Amino acid sequence: MSHTQDTTNGPVAASDAATSPAPVDAAEAEQRRKAVRSRTGKARFAGFLEAYALLVLLGVIALFFCFWSETSSTFPTVANMRILLASQAVIGVISLGALLPLLCQEFDLSVGNIAGLSAIMVAASVSSNGSVLVAVALALAIGLVVGGANALIVTRLHVNGVITTLGMSTILAGIILQRTGGLAPASDIPQAMTNFGTGLVAGVPVIFVTLLVIAAITYFVLNHTSLGRQIYAVGSNMEAAKLVGLRTDGLRAATFVVGALLCALGGLLYVSRAGGASPNVGVTFLLPAFAAAFLSAASVRPGRFNVWGTIIAVYFLAVLNNGLSLAGVEPYVNDYVNGGALIAGVALASVLYRRRTT
Amino acid sequence: MNEQTATEPTRAEQARKVALAVQDVSKTYGATRALDGVSLEVTTGAIHGLMGGNGSGKSTLIKMLAGVVTPDEGKLALKGDWIDARSHTPARAKAFGLHFVHQQNSTFPDLTVAENLALGRGFESTAVRSINWSAQKARARQVLDRFEIDVAADTHLVRLSPAAQMMVAIARALQDQDDTDERGVLVLDEPTASLPKHEVDVLLTALRRYAADGQTIIYVSHRLEEVTAITDEVTVLRNGNVASRLIGTEISHDTLVAGITGSTSGTHAGGLRRANDAIASRVHLSHAAGFRETALTLSRRTASGLEDESLLLRAGEIVGIAGLLGSGRSRLLKQIFGAVPRDDFEVTVRSGTVPSSDMRTAMKRGVAFVPENRLREAALPELSIAENLSITSLSEHSRAGWIRPSRERKAANRLIQEFGVRAPSTIAPLTALSGGNQQKVILARWLQRRPDVLLLDEPTQGVDIGARNEIHELVRAAASAGTAVLVVSSDFGELAALAQRAVVISGGEIVDSVGGPLTEDILNDIVYAQEKAL
Repeated sequence: MSHTQDTTNGPVAASDAATSPAPVDAAEAEQRRKAVRSRTGKARFAGFLEAYALLVLLGVIALFFCFWSETSSTFPTVANMRILLASQAVIGVISLGALLPLLCQEFDLSVGNIAGLSAIMVAASVSSNGSVLVAVALALAIGLVVGGANALIVTRLHVNGVITTLGMSTILAGIILQRTGGLAPASDIPQAMTNFGTGLVAGVPVIFVTLLVIAAITYFVLNHTSLGRQIYAVGSNMEAAKLVGLRTDGLRAATFVVGALLCALGGLLYVSRAGGASPNVGVTFLLPAFAAAFLSAASVRPGRFNVWGTIIAVYFLAVLNNGLSLAGVEPYVNDYVNGGALIAGVALASVLYRRRTT
Repeated sequence: MNEQTATEPTRAEQARKVALAVQDVSKTYGATRALDGVSLEVTTGAIHGLMGGNGSGKSTLIKMLAGVVTPDEGKLALKGDWIDARSHTPARAKAFGLHFVHQQNSTFPDLTVAENLALGRGFESTAVRSINWSAQKARARQVLDRFEIDVAADTHLVRLSPAAQMMVAIARALQDQDDTDERGVLVLDEPTASLPKHEVDVLLTALRRYAADGQTIIYVSHRLEEVTAITDEVTVLRNGNVASRLIGTEISHDTLVAGITGSTSGTHAGGLRRANDAIASRVHLSHAAGFRETALTLSRRTASGLEDESLLLRAGEIVGIAGLLGSGRSRLLKQIFGAVPRDDFEVTVRSGTVPSSDMRTAMKRGVAFVPENRLREAALPELSIAENLSITSLSEHSRAGWIRPSRERKAANRLIQEFGVRAPSTIAPLTALSGGNQQKVILARWLQRRPDVLLLDEPTQGVDIGARNEIHELVRAAASAGTAVLVVSSDFGELAALAQRAVVISGGEIVDSVGGPLTEDILNDIVYAQEKAL
């Protein structure tokens, strides 16, 4: 409205050319810099705590399970650690797939079933012709097609992302059911592939190393390239991003496609580790992957979804669940803990974010 | 007061009655006296125009009537009972029957007419407290009949013409008044700002009918033509004072302009305008002689090809766009930049033509755009100051797509120093800054590209006075470095302070130009004169 500026009318405007402060003089600037330095010194520790609270908590919980009598003999063993690292690698890759669209404030609810379909198709393909190369190509093709479809529907037809991917996820579930009849197909996975899924390098599961490599690549692209910066800008304010000349639709589409590719890759890794695929594995991926992606905003870069926060969150939830299972608690306790951790974590992130920005 | 003596005979009986009176109301914001002892009387059953330029105190007065702003002193009479204006509240305004309908109206486009009417007062319900839709519709039809609005009760509001939507909003505000003398006052704040020309007449006809029916209306508008057409009495504010009170035949374009701008006579405005035309054409000539490089031209596209330039900016020049609310001033900037499509004119800058709807090419060609609404259209709130700065220049800070952090940081430090941004550090999020400092960051974001053309929309809206002056200095510095600046501001004082000359826009078209030196009064004169010419 035009008359919102009663406080800045003519006479005042005319007189203030004289009072206009020149760029702050040097002494004042120096003083300010000093003040800032001491403030950052104090703030640094708090900032560290904020950023790594989840990691610290992860350590505390792990230590607890190491010394708690119920789990002290089973939790801190090399075998258990390997299982823990390897079993969560698949979820880790899929949660990165969920993270990418989330950075643009888009939800991809089809992440679980993309991985599920990829796993089923890869298992079937590799069992029938024994070619790992064909299986890899197939997984990538699935990711590309499903992600591309999601991207086109969201950016061209302007259908809400939640609706689009919910529909897509349901269709994928239908395809999985049609292909399998609801039963785990008999599979004959080549040795080369299962070796990859269960092998160790320098004592660490190969598949966990794979996760770290994928996470590192994603991290570098998101935080050290122009493309990643643009994705964060779209997530921060789409209208503003458009008005500084970013291709917002293209960027959103890219996160859907690359996210789906990661999920399909997750399906492939699952087959190599589990030596087969069952029709309902996709469903079990969805929630943990999303929980981790959301929890990422509570660590490393508080208030912002980020790669290492996601990986920490995956293992935070995994250690919690693993320890409780080893202690022999009823399975429903895990559900309480997972749900509670997710809500508490995201609430924490939003509090941190507001404190940081106001 | 002399209002009562001069009113038409038909209103003679009502003229004795005053529906609403305000006495000696003052309000000070910091160093600014927004209202300085303003008094006003609104005759029952009259349409009372309230006019004034930006900063006249008009909106403060309206907010005070609504009970949203508490004045420092003054009295207020509603239906004859005097109260201390400081004790006025929104609840009291409602109890006294003061009904406000604003330009950005509060109707719901996706709901039906009946639902919109019910949302103002509650739904008709059945015995089990569910909504009784048939009773609801019947009541809506009754209201529509009473206000003579020719629409069906179950039509969705979005399907109605803008004038009909406004009338539904008015009917909603007034529906609970009974037809006796207990009527309140309807306050319409710029009701026609977003209405197309032919729709305005529909609304004005309806308002005249309501007034003839005995409804008291306060009509706030920038539009002289409408005010002269429908008001019975007018109060004009200027600089927080009542500049003039006009009744009946005294209300004319010239008397209103004289009140708004403070010039002694209406003809003076005409003379001024002629003088300015002469200056404007001289300015144009000096350009033609090639004193400075052309930075931006807008050419109208007609059936027979491209017509003359309707706007021409030279390098280093600051040109204002003056226009009233709803004149299309912001839209013009967005069209030049390519954020809104255009098909009736062409934009040329030094490095070539700027295609329609292609912001990326516009940027490449050296056009920069600082939008009006910082929060919605410019800020990347969660990103750091450095990231907010570098977003328009990522290729400068990266090699083969990889951002070089040290370069980015250095550039950010240099920019916040150069632009006087008071920031704890460049890695703090943008939202950690005050509004003025955020605006400097947005300005720096664009000026680091050394654009040929800078489009500024309300560059200091919601910014404190100190930051405002600093921003003006930064814009001037950019201009003297060779950038041509096109600035839109609803605050003509700001335009006068910044721009060397201005163009006047109305109905989305450039209709006039004013040479310098600019003053707030000259701009008011020309803009309002243009309103009459249309």
